[in-house]
Amino acid sequence: MSEKVYAFRCTTCGTVSYPKHVICPKCRGETFEPMEIAGEGAVLTYTDVYALAVDYETRYLRLAIVELDGGLRVTGQLLDEDPKVGGRVRTTVGVVREPAGGPIHGLQFVPV
Amino acid sequence: MRPVYVIGAGMTRFGRSEVPLVDLAGAAALAALHHANLGKIPVDTVIVANMGAGRVNRQVAVASALVDRLSLWPAAADSVENGPASGASAVKVGYQAIASGMADVVLVTGVEMMRAVDGLEATDFVASMSQPEVEYIYGVTLPSLAGLFARLFMERYGVERRHLALVAIKNHDNAMKNPYAHIHQPITMEGILTAPEAVVNNPPVAEPLHMFDCCPVSDGSAAVVLASEEVAAKLGAPRVLVAGIGQATDTHAVHERPDPTDLKAVRLASAAAFDRAGQKPSEIDVAELHDAFTILEIAESEAAGFFKVGQAHRAVERGETKLTGKLPINPSGGLKAKGHPVGATGVAQLVELTWQLRGEASGRQVAKAKTAFACNFGGFGNNVVATVLRKEER
Repeated sequence: MSEKVYAFRCTTCGTVSYPKHVICPKCRGETFEPMEIAGEGAVLTYTDVYALAVDYETRYLRLAIVELDGGLRVTGQLLDEDPKVGGRVRTTVGVVREPAGGPIHGLQFVPV
Repeated sequence: MRPVYVIGAGMTRFGRSEVPLVDLAGAAALAALHHANLGKIPVDTVIVANMGAGRVNRQVAVASALVDRLSLWPAAADSVENGPASGASAVKVGYQAIASGMADVVLVTGVEMMRAVDGLEATDFVASMSQPEVEYIYGVTLPSLAGLFARLFMERYGVERRHLALVAIKNHDNAMKNPYAHIHQPITMEGILTAPEAVVNNPPVAEPLHMFDCCPVSDGSAAVVLASEEVAAKLGAPRVLVAGIGQATDTHAVHERPDPTDLKAVRLASAAAFDRAGQKPSEIDVAELHDAFTILEIAESEAAGFFKVGQAHRAVERGETKLTGKLPINPSGGLKAKGHPVGATGVAQLVELTWQLRGEASGRQVAKAKTAFACNFGGFGNNVVATVLRKEER
């Protein structure tokens, strides 16, 4: 899979943000470099959502906020049959939405 | 700044509209104008709160359309879009116009017609206010953000589904006494949680939240007339003062908040509103909170300062937030049962509170209400407007 998902590291103070900000929330710096999001972390919270937006054929989606080792928090799709708060996962990149304009790649979490 | 008064309030019944958007808004505006009984005093400014007519009704510049429908030319007219906080934001803009001296009489009308599209499209329309690159692309909808929030909040503070059910039951009970409410359906703990058939009656929407934790999709409109002290005195209207408004923002993506259970924007907006009003949470007699999801009524009541963090569900258990309790919350039925036409909601909260302070909320009147508080919650708490109203004795 060649698609990658990026966070943004402030070149002044090193703070990593996802999503990007034009001004660093920590030091007000204005220059950033992309940093690939990849690694392991723990599920902070998750939900099975049945109230879906357009572009999904499935009955429900399992979404989570994961805190990656290092502290960055990310939202994504949890591919875990037995989800639990605190569960260890690693990031992967897959198709997370398929609108008419073509598939969108994003973060998915699989159990370690 | 000049003091600003609410001199009229009116709304349509929430639910499903049989008339076009501008007629829906016109009906609420007319009710508020009748209530204000302006006589020959002109309306000099019209503000419309609306979130999505451009998308769901294919109509933009709704304020211009409403002025025309009401033949209020050449009044100034502006539309305000601030997500589900559009209503209170529009009232804030009207307040600023009068406080600054630019206007004397302002009509603020919130309107939304979300049932013009199917449920999937309505959910997607609302979801489009989430962070596009790191939330929306994953299939995030507002119920899913509420589910993620609820799981964290409930585990941390020992809140159980039965506490959420108590909020829903209370708000459905209150709505039974409100002829303007979308949902007139009494519910019980057995029916939505403990009986075997509850799993069918009350299916999951975004675990741990179920259908009876979520507001309906509604059409509706609500309006208030704001006036300067001079105009309010001339009309001899009951004096409902806009005592203080506060507003605060927070990160767009919920995951970027240091503590995602901390509704920081509610905390800051409420503190600012109380500070400007010169009042404390303990002095409030009645509150309308933004219970798009039951968990939010509990969390907002803590963030606004009515209860200590982690304690509101205990107060709900003790019945303190019922109509007869120490602090009645959502006497109107709240978003849960009165309904949630997104752009109208913030105005409708202030309509209910104005009626409460004037002693006109028949059937659900909070005895001797003198001070009132509203929290209008935009996005998933990333843009919040809080308002304190106070009745002045003439």
